Amino acid sequence: MTKTGYLLRRLAYLVPTVVAITVLVFFMIHLIPGNPASAMLGPRATPTRVAALDRLWGLNRPLLSQYWLFMDRLVHGNLGTSLFLHIPVTTLIAQRIGPTLLLLTGGTVFTILITVPLAAAAATHKGGAIDQLVRIVPLIGLSMPAFWMGIILLLVFAVKVPIFPVAGFGVGVSGHLLSIVLPALTVAFAIAPLTIRSLRTAMLEALTSEYVVTARGKRISEARVVVRHGMRNALPPAVSVLGVNIGWLVGGTVVIEQVFSLPGLGSLMLSSIYNKDFPVVQGVTLVFAGLVVLVNLGTDIFFALLDPRVTFE
Amino acid sequence: MSTKPRNSPRPRLSAMGRQLLGRTAVALLLSTGLIAAWASSSSSSPARTSSAAPVHGGHLVFARIADIETLDPTVAVDNPSIWADEQIYQTLYTVAANGRGTVPWLATGFRVSANKLTWTFTLRSGIEFSNGQPLTSADVKFSIDRARTSKSGLGYIDANIASVSAPSPHTVVIKTVRPWAPLLADLALYVNGIVPNHFGGTSATAFFQHPVATGPFELGTWVHGQSLTLVRNPHYWQPGKPYLDSVEFTVVPNANSRLLTLEGHQAQIVDAPPAPSVASLKSMPGFFAGIFPSTEIVVALPNEHFAPMADVHVREAIAYAINQNAIVKAILLGRGSRANSILPSGVPYYNAANPGIKFNLAKAKSELAASHYPHGFKLTFLSDSDYAEVAEVVQQELAPLGIKVSISTVPSSDLFVEQQQFNYQLSIDNWTMDISDPSEYATYALDGTGGSYSFFTNYNNAHMTSLVEQAATTLNTTQRARLYNELQTFADQQLPQIPLYYAPLIYGASQKVHNFTVTPLGNYPLQNVWLSK
Repeated sequence: MTKTGYLLRRLAYLVPTVVAITVLVFFMIHLIPGNPASAMLGPRATPTRVAALDRLWGLNRPLLSQYWLFMDRLVHGNLGTSLFLHIPVTTLIAQRIGPTLLLLTGGTVFTILITVPLAAAAATHKGGAIDQLVRIVPLIGLSMPAFWMGIILLLVFAVKVPIFPVAGFGVGVSGHLLSIVLPALTVAFAIAPLTIRSLRTAMLEALTSEYVVTARGKRISEARVVVRHGMRNALPPAVSVLGVNIGWLVGGTVVIEQVFSLPGLGSLMLSSIYNKDFPVVQGVTLVFAGLVVLVNLGTDIFFALLDPRVTFE
Repeated sequence: MSTKPRNSPRPRLSAMGRQLLGRTAVALLLSTGLIAAWASSSSSSPARTSSAAPVHGGHLVFARIADIETLDPTVAVDNPSIWADEQIYQTLYTVAANGRGTVPWLATGFRVSANKLTWTFTLRSGIEFSNGQPLTSADVKFSIDRARTSKSGLGYIDANIASVSAPSPHTVVIKTVRPWAPLLADLALYVNGIVPNHFGGTSATAFFQHPVATGPFELGTWVHGQSLTLVRNPHYWQPGKPYLDSVEFTVVPNANSRLLTLEGHQAQIVDAPPAPSVASLKSMPGFFAGIFPSTEIVVALPNEHFAPMADVHVREAIAYAINQNAIVKAILLGRGSRANSILPSGVPYYNAANPGIKFNLAKAKSELAASHYPHGFKLTFLSDSDYAEVAEVVQQELAPLGIKVSISTVPSSDLFVEQQQFNYQLSIDNWTMDISDPSEYATYALDGTGGSYSFFTNYNNAHMTSLVEQAATTLNTTQRARLYNELQTFADQQLPQIPLYYAPLIYGASQKVHNFTVTPLGNYPLQNVWLSK
């Protein structure tokens, strides 16, 4: 199968996956006690007023009828309207997806920037002080919760040494980029220990393999041996680890966005769950699911590009 | 506002977030310790008012827990929306600074007919909307009619308004269904904020994209989820005000992050700073903690569908066994006070001299001995994570009576749902007032014939219901005071709920902020605020 055919087939698999997710999300959120009308009206919610709001929002219809309406709108690209913000869900998502995507991208970039040199240094100095440091120090990032790491970074780099903003997404491109540095670093500190370990292990294996011995025998420079032969062949497993963690991170944006007050999909999801704003929860969950599937797809494709032995089937 | 102040959509962590939390409790302690490393044990500052001449100009950044949801006052139910909308829209009367009544605002006064059913208001002359158009009675009629017919929001507060008419440009006549003492307090509620008649000829949707009103500020920009910026209304009617050029409400959900925005000079006011940091704000150069009395009352709710709770001696025993001062000291770190009355402390007719139920273990035991359960019983206390510590204290304090308490914890968003469905035996919740009149809470908490079932405790007493009704329909303030005193005394004997404590409103602010005050209802009139250079 060609790469294009493989890609198209994987994209086609998105459809049943997303449909299955819509069913899960739709019915699961309706299992939560209480309803949006009660949540909105609070303790003044007399049964009459709740019922009136239910009718206004169509929540008094049978669940299957509501689900059918939801799917009918979905196939027309309509995710409904936020019960609380009175804004189309698609508009809300379009407004809020930017910070989340930038956070994911920034987190990935910083993870790579941290992982590659440290893993290479550790692998080429196996057993030495550098190797020990690289194996131990990143564990701090792994063991500390993201919200704590984020607060510490804010304390140091936004308050004590005010380089970065404490909260928000800034204004303009430069403002956005500046505001994403600390959150992305927080992400990278959490993921990098895993990718460093994976890449280091793979590089150690690669650097003792026969083709590397042959390359050295041909008097190729050590730097070229490490990068061209060691790193290149060690990347695939590390890419898999990175891909899995980015997928995990998509849901984890909730915590990071709360700490750094980023107006992304994670914070939107949190407030919508609290408010029982069903249309928004459903819409954001679909987007998250789509992102995770796309990240996995991207990981597989990148893996196959790196390793010519992998065929597209 | 209602149970669980709506300024706190208490963020719930995702499954991943809970994993991260669970991974290291040490990190939690470290982070709390780190933030509290600023702490000293000095007492907090009072509200900071200034006698210096106000400085005109400046951009105030106010970091708050959540974003606003709507600019439509007839729909808004969350505190961030309400307190932002109040900078844009104004009402005929407004809440007095001490919360104990109302003062004229867009109206200058009123007179009431002999039968107490017709109120005639005179509008203040010379008031213009932010587009320069003059305010007239037609605008008032349109706005209040819109509020009282709204299906969502707090428009039900106008349920006792029968009609609104505008016989002349500066006269508004409101007829009530029955004599209704809280009318001025109702009209002071943000939901009755005045907008132009028929939105000035545009649709509601278009209008609320950029509302026109008489308040000190008008909408500048709104970046959803991030910030709302209000700019000075050049047509504002109070001479020289507002002092600020603009106010930016930013969204910073995390309490520690909010405090950091203050310390990092990226905000001048923050709401609800972390409790351990409050005492330290006074000692931090350039900052202060504003602690304001509020109408928040926290009560234990005995569900009288559970047989022991239907016994008044059991309720008395529980009330006497709970050491309110210990709860205030341990959980509120001393900020707050024991609740000595069924009424919140910041409302009119609250009786500060009412003794309430004071901790007395011997009395608690004698009350239980007089009940149908002299040897105690098993009890489930329904709580959420916000009141978990209170639940634990109550559990400990009821143990000597032989009342074995087990604590059941539900998510905050579900606590009230469970209470509404009476799925509890003893529970806990809070209340904050919407209006500066006790009738709203009295009806909600003490009238068993209403839809709230006495705060969902199923308490129903004809005499109490009668007191609630009489106090709301008597316009004579002396008689109202007598009735509310009698109500508070009777509530101590009946204990439909068990008052626990009053909690204040707390803000952190820069010392460059002057005249920042907060009424007990939570309103902050930002037209009075100014920033020093």
